[in-house]
Amino acid sequence: MAAHLSYGKVNLNILREAARKDLREFLDKCAGSKAIVWDEYLTGPFGLIAQYSLLKEHEVEKMFTLKSGRLPAADVKNIIFFVRPRLELMDIIAENVSSEDKTRSPQDFHILFVPRRSMLCEQRLKEQNVLGSFINIDEYILDLIPYDGDLLSMEYESAFRECYLENDQTSLYHTAKGLMTLQALYGTIPQIYGKGECARHVANMMLRMKREFAGSQNQILPVFDTLLLLDRNVDLLTPLATQLTYEGLIDEIYGINNGYVKLPPEKFAQKKQGETSKDLPTEPKKLQLNSAEELYAEIRDKNFNAVGAALSKKAKIISAAFEERHNAKTVGEIKQFVSQLPHMQAARSSLANHTSVAELIKDITTSEAFFDNLTVEQEFMTGVDTDKVNTYIEDCIAQKDPLIKIVRLVCMQSVCNNGLKQKVLDYYKREILQTYGYEHILTLNNLEKGGLLKPQTSSRNNYPTIRKTLKLWMEDANEQNPNDISYVYSGYAPLSIRLTQVLARPGWRSIEEVLKMLPGPHFEERQQLPAGLHKKRQQGENRTTLVFFLGGVTYAEIAALRFLSQMEDSGMEYIIATTKLINGTTWIKTIMDRPESQMS
Amino acid sequence: YYITASYREKRLETRLSVLQKAVDEFNKAKNEFAAKATEEEMRLLRFQRKLDDEKGAGLLGLSLQETMEVLLSLGLHKHTEQLYRDFRLPDKRYWWLKLKSMAEKHEWEELEKF
Repeated sequence: MAAHLSYGKVNLNILREAARKDLREFLDKCAGSKAIVWDEYLTGPFGLIAQYSLLKEHEVEKMFTLKSGRLPAADVKNIIFFVRPRLELMDIIAENVSSEDKTRSPQDFHILFVPRRSMLCEQRLKEQNVLGSFINIDEYILDLIPYDGDLLSMEYESAFRECYLENDQTSLYHTAKGLMTLQALYGTIPQIYGKGECARHVANMMLRMKREFAGSQNQILPVFDTLLLLDRNVDLLTPLATQLTYEGLIDEIYGINNGYVKLPPEKFAQKKQGETSKDLPTEPKKLQLNSAEELYAEIRDKNFNAVGAALSKKAKIISAAFEERHNAKTVGEIKQFVSQLPHMQAARSSLANHTSVAELIKDITTSEAFFDNLTVEQEFMTGVDTDKVNTYIEDCIAQKDPLIKIVRLVCMQSVCNNGLKQKVLDYYKREILQTYGYEHILTLNNLEKGGLLKPQTSSRNNYPTIRKTLKLWMEDANEQNPNDISYVYSGYAPLSIRLTQVLARPGWRSIEEVLKMLPGPHFEERQQLPAGLHKKRQQGENRTTLVFFLGGVTYAEIAALRFLSQMEDSGMEYIIATTKLINGTTWIKTIMDRPESQMS
Repeated sequence: YYITASYREKRLETRLSVLQKAVDEFNKAKNEFAAKATEEEMRLLRFQRKLDDEKGAGLLGLSLQETMEVLLSLGLHKHTEQLYRDFRLPDKRYWWLKLKSMAEKHEWEELEKF
């Protein structure tokens, strides 16, 4: 069922199984039939851990979404609330519970906090006089969720905002805890590297937690050799750029949520022979995307310009396979052919799906607007005219293009110029306020706080130095048969991934100068392994690094790391972990503030 | 802080006074840009109120650009001109705006005159 998790070098199914076991244990604690009331935000992440069938096996009969007012009628013994520890949710629960008591036969109430219980929330329930109604108050520790064979995500959307704008380190605590859980299952990670304020904090917390558990030595042979912690604000540029891999573009255009994407249905109309169904489906088409799908695993990380060729090649292979049936003469051969049919049919429908998706994307990537936008992005990244007001941005504002598009471009210019001249910055800000409304002053403020937008303080712009040292721009990026990670942005090599690459070889010492220009400290820590657990490495065996992006990672960056893992001479395999999968748009959205006007 | 609070105020007068507090704070913090932007917003709100009262244009709460779009579509060119000068709009954006409005209203003869 979760085969895609065990393909990779590290079997992430172990983590998923551990999470499922905890869930089952909690459910069994509440004997009898149950109804679950969901904090809606949690349903997506939970879907990655357990399907409805697992819940059903444990007598979960009904599921509701948490809403204020009264609970829907349910003839069950237990009502369980699955919630994040948020005060506003406590108020809703209190309302649910207190309107319930009198009317019906007594039921047992339980709360499961995800990922941690909180004193504040329990206090709130006490104030509302409902704390006593709960039989069980428990926590379900779900920090790192296995997302794909080489990918873990905390699905913690507000992490960047909390860390860099609000100075709230809750998400870092969860990160450290999650990494401890991981080490309990996969062994202590001997080497820790990091770059950035938050990385430093997480490493410190991990080392402290380890000291606290000093008594219980972990006797598991380490699976990971190295952990690399990277702050998102070390590399603000990458998520602002438009991703050009297949998966990246699907996310940029349609948005991927918990491994699913919703697409406009027109292209997916059933084309069955003899059936002239006029009514097109109106529901968006929902498609699951992970490496369990053979074709998707093959094309997801390719530059979009190479996807067409890959699809047509695949089409030829599949039709050739179907042709085989004419050659099947003996009963044995026919039998063999038939046994392969389900697999072939699955491959064919997967091909049809992705051809449709690729067509949808192509309509957009070939549009003039997309091209113009990309041209400006690439000019900024190569350092062309980043110190002046850009006419393309001006035009976009005048035509009232979506604000996020404008913000992405302006921030990009600011990052590539190491801040904008005060005059240029004020000009953009005024344009934005006058066109999109004064309320966006809050968003602009946040962007400045997060360092995405800033006035130039020193006269020296160090971006060109960083670009040259780390080779962030490759003139001759090969999109079809890439030989360098820069293919994921058709020329731009993500800074974060370059740092990872240099760390593996030749090491960070070679780029001390550049590391100093980037924000936050860089560091190295070692964790002692108990004697006898030192790995005896065989000749030619790859090392494994876990790269943790604090504040989010894009699909294109993931693609670049997968590319590095596959390179024959790299000797390194990468597993990726993050607080949240992001793209420029979803990321900026979490930073925006939008007060609702109540004036009539 | 004050800006978020101002959006919670239903009445214009109270909102303006909360914004004035924001201006004071910005000045204290030496954030010149924000102070000026806030003053402009207050000016815009007053202007919108005046025109709403006179013509019932329903402008209150719109951005400057949106305000001007509405004014142009109502044919209130003089008022638009006034805003353009008062708020020192960049010419480029202003001409875009005028062109778009004329095209929408199919005033092709006017367009010719450009």
